Amino acid sequence: MFGPTGILIAVIVLTMVLAVFFLIRPAVTAGAREKILAFIALFILPALCIGGGMSRHMERSEQTRFCISCHAMAPYGQSLYVDDAKYLPAAHFQNHRIPVETACYACHANYTIYGPLKDKLQGISRIYVQYVSTPPKTIHIRGGYSNLQCLRCHAGARNFEANPVHQAIMDSLKSNQMSCVSSGCHDTVHNVAAMGNVKFWSSAQ
Amino acid sequence: MKLRAIGIQQFFRVSSGLIILGLLVEIVSLLWFHPLAFVLFAFVGASLIGLGILVYLASLVFAVSPPAGNRG
Repeated sequence: MFGPTGILIAVIVLTMVLAVFFLIRPAVTAGAREKILAFIALFILPALCIGGGMSRHMERSEQTRFCISCHAMAPYGQSLYVDDAKYLPAAHFQNHRIPVETACYACHANYTIYGPLKDKLQGISRIYVQYVSTPPKTIHIRGGYSNLQCLRCHAGARNFEANPVHQAIMDSLKSNQMSCVSSGCHDTVHNVAAMGNVKFWSSAQ
Repeated sequence: MKLRAIGIQQFFRVSSGLIILGLLVEIVSLLWFHPLAFVLFAFVGASLIGLGILVYLASLVFAVSPPAGNRG
């Protein structure tokens, strides 16, 4: 109930109370004790608030509902509920093969050392496209979808490694020469153009 | 010296004001679940708080407290 956001807001309120005190009575900082208090109120706590705020926003930006809150992403969110196992994201989402709360991030995050930073910078450029420029009708991933995103979970998994089709092309898959999603194998991905003609699954049923 | 003493108080007022504004923006951004909330926090809230911290640090470097005899 009183989660990380609640704790952060409590720290922010405490910082604000102290900052208001120094705003109204800046002369009190003549004494050594008050100087230390000013250092805590105007340096330590605000720095903590920036760090805490950044951390909370980073965590929130990984949530599925955050991604699909952009108008252009709404049909991609819908595609997670398509009642058809051929739809790759829907099959992963509905069967909890990926964390449901962070479904988009699980399959679209860059898992390299500076990956999260690159993702956030890309996210800002997408916000720019959404609100300042015009989003394209069809959204494409820059550089295509990398097999490494799939192999992060599937590499080493028995049903993936033992599959004779996968075995025959394993080197091409691991070197990203043959795409998992665009080589005719698992090619029904979000397919948002068909959202008006598909049946949806409801988890409440 | 008196002018410098007023100077440090001005520094503190500006610093506190910027930090309060930045924190208010941060609270709004935390309560608003939207991609723009991140932009609001990163480009407005964090910048205001950061500027407030810088003004406070500048007060430590550039402003001089009044001598002990003048302290009230």
